Amino acid sequence: MTTIVAIKSKDGVVLASDRRASKGFFIGSKITQKIYKVDDTLGMAIAGQLSDAEYMIKMAKAERKLAELRRGYQLTVRESARLIANLAYSGLKSYTPYFVELLVAGTDSNGPHVYSADMSGAITEEDFASSGSGSPIAYGVLESGYNQNMSIDETKTLASKAVLAAIERDPGSGNGVDVLEIPALLTREVRE
Amino acid sequence: MSDQNFGRYPYYYGPQGRLVLVDSALEAVSRGSTTIGLKTEKFALLSSHIKPIRPLVEPSEKVFPIDEHIGATGSGYIGDILRLIDELRIEAQRHRLVYETPIDVGSLAKHIGTFLHSYTIYAVRPQAASVLITGTDPTGIQMYQVDPSGTFFKGQAFAIGQESDKALDVIQQKYSADMNVEQAVRLSNEAIEHALNERPIVEHGVVSADSKTFKKL
Repeated sequence: MTTIVAIKSKDGVVLASDRRASKGFFIGSKITQKIYKVDDTLGMAIAGQLSDAEYMIKMAKAERKLAELRRGYQLTVRESARLIANLAYSGLKSYTPYFVELLVAGTDSNGPHVYSADMSGAITEEDFASSGSGSPIAYGVLESGYNQNMSIDETKTLASKAVLAAIERDPGSGNGVDVLEIPALLTREVRE
Repeated sequence: MSDQNFGRYPYYYGPQGRLVLVDSALEAVSRGSTTIGLKTEKFALLSSHIKPIRPLVEPSEKVFPIDEHIGATGSGYIGDILRLIDELRIEAQRHRLVYETPIDVGSLAKHIGTFLHSYTIYAVRPQAASVLITGTDPTGIQMYQVDPSGTFFKGQAFAIGQESDKALDVIQQKYSADMNVEQAVRLSNEAIEHALNERPIVEHGVVSADSKTFKKL
């Protein structure tokens, strides 16, 4: 169930989700938070088992804080995604998998990044990604609407359009849209 | 055991409040081969004196690549140095497994500091080796010295081993932040020669900010 999307724009990343938690054919909650701000430069969107996802987010938060304190500068988005993927992989290999699909999005000194991670421990870097039961519908909107030169506001609009389309036709998604924007901290001048 | 020390184990603090085994390890390091590290913003150089050996025996390697972008050298008992070098290499690869990125030099220095520290709190022999670690990371070219106590220092130039004070004197007088690799090699050769009063055989390794790689010369 669930629809989550993450989109990379030239000056930041955007995460969006619906708010429905399903219990079979019953709507368990209409105000579920599926997007988490790990810190000022990293966000995660979750689909799947809430408890597993929250544990992974807590681990990511703790590891990022520790790494920054120890080495003096923050983990990159890729380093954070790899860390989470390793946790997922160790779960899979010990026959107690984390039943989650995660979108890890944020900005670092290399610019904005979006990663998609799943319970197998695989991570892929994407321009945009979606997960959950509504994702086939969301992808339809993203595929036709995305281009790399969108501003962060246009990206936010596209993200909520994608989730709203999924809400219209996917019974596992609904009850409104949440959006998180993480602007790029460094806008690097491109010299000719 | 002396009367003063009666009833005390040698890994406890001595009567003067010093860790006697750690002091002994430092003393052993100060009898090791003279070893120098110096860096500018563009590169870092590691140099270690190869002690004269008898004919038909090959001298042991003293400057070690740790990862693509990091190198290290040490002074003290060679067996202890090699153990520390291996620990550095393992930690560098462990970081690549966990984060898929090259480790930063500071984290390596802290790791080996923690490793050495663990030998100072139990009834074991502290490692009789100090290491110089250098490399490049997102914060630039970095250089660290780590001692048997687990203490680490960050800086532009270090000398450890035999007559290292004399070698450091030469480097402090003649160090310049805008020298090139050739000048740095000459300076560290000169420092070792001055310390030992002989024409030394020296092994060198360089990491440069441009290539981001560590290479033995």
